[in-house]
Amino acid sequence: MNRRARMLLPVILLAAAAAATGFAAPQKTIVIANARIVPVVGPDLASGTIVIKDGKIADIGAGISVPPGADIVDGKGLTAFPGMIDGYSFLGLQEITGVNATVDNRETGRINPQVWAIEALRYDSMHIPIARSNGITAAIVAPTGGLISGRSVLIKLDGWTNREMVVKNPAALQIEFPDIRGGRGGGSGFGQRGGGAAAQDATRLIAELKDLFASARAYEKRKLYAQKNLSVALPDFDETSEFLLPVLKGEVAIMILVHADRDIQAAIKFVKDEGLKAVFYGAEQGWKVAADLKDSGIPVIISQLYAAPPVWDDGYDQLFMNAVRLARAGVKIAFSSGSATAAKDLPYHAAKAAAFGLDRREALKAVTISPAEIFGVAGEMGSLEKGKAANIVLADGDLLEQRTNVKAVFIDGKPCDMSNKYTELLDKFKKR
Amino acid sequence: MKRTLATLLLATLAVLCAAGSAAAAGSLLIKNGTILTVTRGTIARGDILVINGIIARIGKNIAAPPGVPVIDAAGRYVLPGLIDSHTHIALAGTNEGSEAITPEADVGAVINADDTALFTALTGGVTMAHTMHGSANPIGGPNVVLKMKWGRPSEELVVSEAWRTLKFALGENVKQSSRTIVAGGPPPRYPQTRMGTNAILRREFLRAQNYMAEWDRYEKLKGSKNPPKTLLPPRRDLRLEVLADLLKGKMVARCHDYQATEALEFMGLAKEFGFKIAALEHAWEAYKIADELAAAKIGISVFADSWAYKMEAAEGIAYDAGYCSKKGVLVSINSDSNERIRRLFNDAAKTMKYGGLSEDEALRLVTINPALQLGVDKIVGSLEVGKQADIAIFNEHPMSAYTRCDMTIIDGDVYFDRAGIIAAREEAAKKGGRP
Amino acid sequence: MPTRNRFALWSVLGALCVLPAAAASDVGPTYAIRNVRIVPVTGPVIEKGTLIIRDGLIESLGAVDKTAVPEDAEIIEAEGLTAYPGLISGHTNLLLEDPAAGMGQRGAAGTPTLPAVAAQRGAGTAGETAAGTPELMLLTQLRPAKSTMDGFLKAGFTTVLIAPNRGIIQGQSAVVNLNGLETGPMVLLTPAALHVNFTTNRGGYPSSLMGTIAYIRQSFLDADHYANAKAVYGKNLKGMKRPVHDPFLEALIPYVRDKKPVIFQCNNAEDIKRALKIIEEFKLSGILSQANEAWRAEAALKASRAKLLVTLDFRPPNGSFYTSQGEDLRKKAEAEIYPSNPAALAKAGIAFSLTTFGLTDAAAALRNVRTAIKLGLPEDVALRALTLVPAQTLGLDRQVGSLEPGKIANVILTKGALFDEKTQVERVFVDGVLWKF
Repeated sequence: MNRRARMLLPVILLAAAAAATGFAAPQKTIVIANARIVPVVGPDLASGTIVIKDGKIADIGAGISVPPGADIVDGKGLTAFPGMIDGYSFLGLQEITGVNATVDNRETGRINPQVWAIEALRYDSMHIPIARSNGITAAIVAPTGGLISGRSVLIKLDGWTNREMVVKNPAALQIEFPDIRGGRGGGSGFGQRGGGAAAQDATRLIAELKDLFASARAYEKRKLYAQKNLSVALPDFDETSEFLLPVLKGEVAIMILVHADRDIQAAIKFVKDEGLKAVFYGAEQGWKVAADLKDSGIPVIISQLYAAPPVWDDGYDQLFMNAVRLARAGVKIAFSSGSATAAKDLPYHAAKAAAFGLDRREALKAVTISPAEIFGVAGEMGSLEKGKAANIVLADGDLLEQRTNVKAVFIDGKPCDMSNKYTELLDKFKKR
Repeated sequence: MKRTLATLLLATLAVLCAAGSAAAAGSLLIKNGTILTVTRGTIARGDILVINGIIARIGKNIAAPPGVPVIDAAGRYVLPGLIDSHTHIALAGTNEGSEAITPEADVGAVINADDTALFTALTGGVTMAHTMHGSANPIGGPNVVLKMKWGRPSEELVVSEAWRTLKFALGENVKQSSRTIVAGGPPPRYPQTRMGTNAILRREFLRAQNYMAEWDRYEKLKGSKNPPKTLLPPRRDLRLEVLADLLKGKMVARCHDYQATEALEFMGLAKEFGFKIAALEHAWEAYKIADELAAAKIGISVFADSWAYKMEAAEGIAYDAGYCSKKGVLVSINSDSNERIRRLFNDAAKTMKYGGLSEDEALRLVTINPALQLGVDKIVGSLEVGKQADIAIFNEHPMSAYTRCDMTIIDGDVYFDRAGIIAAREEAAKKGGRP
Repeated sequence: MPTRNRFALWSVLGALCVLPAAAASDVGPTYAIRNVRIVPVTGPVIEKGTLIIRDGLIESLGAVDKTAVPEDAEIIEAEGLTAYPGLISGHTNLLLEDPAAGMGQRGAAGTPTLPAVAAQRGAGTAGETAAGTPELMLLTQLRPAKSTMDGFLKAGFTTVLIAPNRGIIQGQSAVVNLNGLETGPMVLLTPAALHVNFTTNRGGYPSSLMGTIAYIRQSFLDADHYANAKAVYGKNLKGMKRPVHDPFLEALIPYVRDKKPVIFQCNNAEDIKRALKIIEEFKLSGILSQANEAWRAEAALKASRAKLLVTLDFRPPNGSFYTSQGEDLRKKAEAEIYPSNPAALAKAGIAFSLTTFGLTDAAAALRNVRTAIKLGLPEDVALRALTLVPAQTLGLDRQVGSLEPGKIANVILTKGALFDEKTQVERVFVDGVLWKF
């Protein structure tokens, strides 16, 4: 066994032990030593130590002392990064995208606030270990379709049940406005509008949403009154209103999938009018209204960049430049995979934007601390800082490069099983 | 002696004049770039001189002949234009799905040079693409290889040196797995199973052999001493004619396949009927039969990792390309998409992680390897003196995730220039006030 | 007059009255159009002239002081008007029974095909039209409608080639004079040409353009083979089985063997090249119609002998190079690039006719000619493209296409020069009879 493998042996054994015991057993303290550290918040360390205790980063820095009895992971030649966070995916809701029986991300009907992604999340999906072994430690999993698709959830990519994986549930209520893009990877090319939404624009949909909100408020008023006055009949149970109310009260954020520039402006006004906590997804023409977006303070999850540029006049690189320009205008951005089967490609979308001018460190932030901030979990994850969850990736190079090998992944301080469907099949046929 | 000298002087003068006037079209000098030749190593800070669309010199400190424009590639990477071995771009229609066997339908007859996908390809450094039938048919028909000469008439795009290829397909698409059978509607098209697919292929090869025999008999009778008065040539059948060409070795097969079994069975048919398979397309289970592929010298043209969209793609592992490559199979990475075509290099880079290929090996998967699969390796696929000047210039190493294509050159003419586009945008913005 | 003679006279007059009306209208009227400006097309303009029409033909024309007016002529004072030959549209689909019908519908007079042959020809299930019906004669589909004819005539068109419009190998067209509502007297030439369109047979074979091209080629190959087989059989009649009679192939033989004209509808520049390849392969007498992107295939056109029927419908085709690269270029395509097609051809020295193909309103034709002229089409080229050139292309130039003695009296009288903005067509004579709008 070579030296590298020997040094990682504790990790492997720990991972096996963790896998075997099932529930989170009390863990030994783990120390990652001699690694280059990219905390994302604060300066890089050419060589440093991370102490993992009780699932958290107990200490991090250069020249800190190693507690006795800890398992040492030699990070020589490796770099420690925060685990990446996917701003929008279908992990756990799709296995084979062309086989309907294995797809659960799109409910029928247009208004579905009662539909919650966590309740269908297939935690043992084959796509989760693949993404995890590429350094993704958390992801938004969202339902899609209709006008109100349902509630998304922020999960960590480790857990023995779907509920164990929850970091924040709900993450947001998903709302979808008309798309202007063609299909991912299958590609129509320039000038193609997706999803039959070409004829609509967001104004009508916003009017519809306002009506639904008004109904919900009215419903609540009647319910409260009836609760106080027994002689007054309770209003009939209204599922839609029930599950919209938390949004109106600011308890649940909304994620609006919005794409065209005019629609973005309308959405900004809508969010302001209704006093909502909002995140935008997509905003592919956001660069045209970047100042408005900046002023609104609404962050943008950049949709996966494996899409054909929709509008010839906006340029062949419009989707890449959108991310670049939004960032330069001061809009907070995060990247996403928009997928289950290609969730592992999250870092490459960030790199693609960097190829077209986004600062490389900003690109890295946009898959780590920024999504954490956007979803309100920056206190727990998104960077390598003392007190945060030990979601750590050890890689032999730049985390955003395709060529980089991820050697180890820790989630909540626990070393993850690095095997996945790819490695299983490869190992099987290597034995021929 | 005097005459010889005079002749020599005249000859030299003629050559210089010719060089001067010819320097106008398809000539340029790329300077100071890191040259990734693919087949002859890497040259740091090197130059490439192109004359009339052909690479004339590769080296250092080459001086520009008069009239030849200079492209400064300092700090950038100069590589062969990428070759996409499997696409469906630039065609007015890709499937003749109404019948199962349609080799008379030739994509070469329906080239659409107005397809903006040609431009999209250029933005990703792609200079050549094998554009094909889809996978609606067990036997689709002939394909064509095109240079991405956006803006030129269709006849100028065709690469006549390429092998003639015949598209075959196996598996779910062919047996129409995703189609719902409507009660009382038209009967489903045969074949609806993989068994039927193999059977229909065998049937057509036998029919083609019959057709060839008929014509042989006719020729014999015609050439005989007393040909019969009622002798008629057989009816020319465009469909069987193409299959006969395959069996005669004038075409090679390119077969869309996913499962290991269907690949092996198709290889068996190739052996039985004596035709050559240049490559299997997609081949998501090639890693399961890598030895057989290497032994039969059959290449594969695959995605890096686009999988799990059909049952037959459910065991398509990202190691497929890299693993098979290490096992000696000729592997190319393709896009099969007019969006993915502009990030072929990103996909190739994935084989460095999934498969352990080196930078140079990964780059081969989208340059010389597809050229070898298409029979154009003598004219493109690497930067060598004498080859056609299909060249791409990237700002970072093409296997870096941070790279982008800055310029794409075909036959020595610049077809894509990012700097020019940015400048034009800035001009337009000044006039129109757009950001 | 003696009683007996008077009786005879009245008998004769009476007999004449009971003779069938047709007999009385078989001889056309005589007109003298006087003081009119005459543009004969094949000769110099006559500023003030007289044009004599007798019994459907032009009898004579000349300067007013040099041309005698016959005694039996009805005089038409045409001071301030201009006489042109009636315009000819070399390709239209109007005046058909069901011009808007797409594939898959059988016309009432649809030509039946033998089941075995239909299967061979790639016919769909019962009730669907086959991809090819070369045996279909346009005359059986012709449904003259007054309002449509008025539309043509008001726009100055007296002669049109009407073609079948369904399928790939569509059938055989006819050229007619728009002189009334009865088919027989309209006919100028039938069949005029075989029509082929690069479309597909949705729901059947061929369902793709490449399949269509193979289908066209295989059909011509089969027709050739069939003609061979018939010839060989005809020489022997013994010792070989007779070829199976096939109306589809029978209909193709004149075009493949005897080189009667084949008109290919070309929806874009690539179609032109595709058509030319087929014309070359089978050595057809080829004509290209629609040809809205002809300027993009200049080299191929110059190298061939195929004739052009260029449409005045300047709408860009689907997926045009010029409509998929941003708004500015698309607007330019519609306003300038496509309407410049005729001017570009004229500049390149390529001869062509102009047709109303694709226009549902013939008035748009003259509007579009004016646009083409603004963009550089010389007026005299435009006039010839609407008169003499289509006549020549269709082999009818001894009968129509200019104002010459002996030619058919298809004459239009306009107030103003033909291509002026405010021009009105005041009178139209078709086959020497004044049309009543």
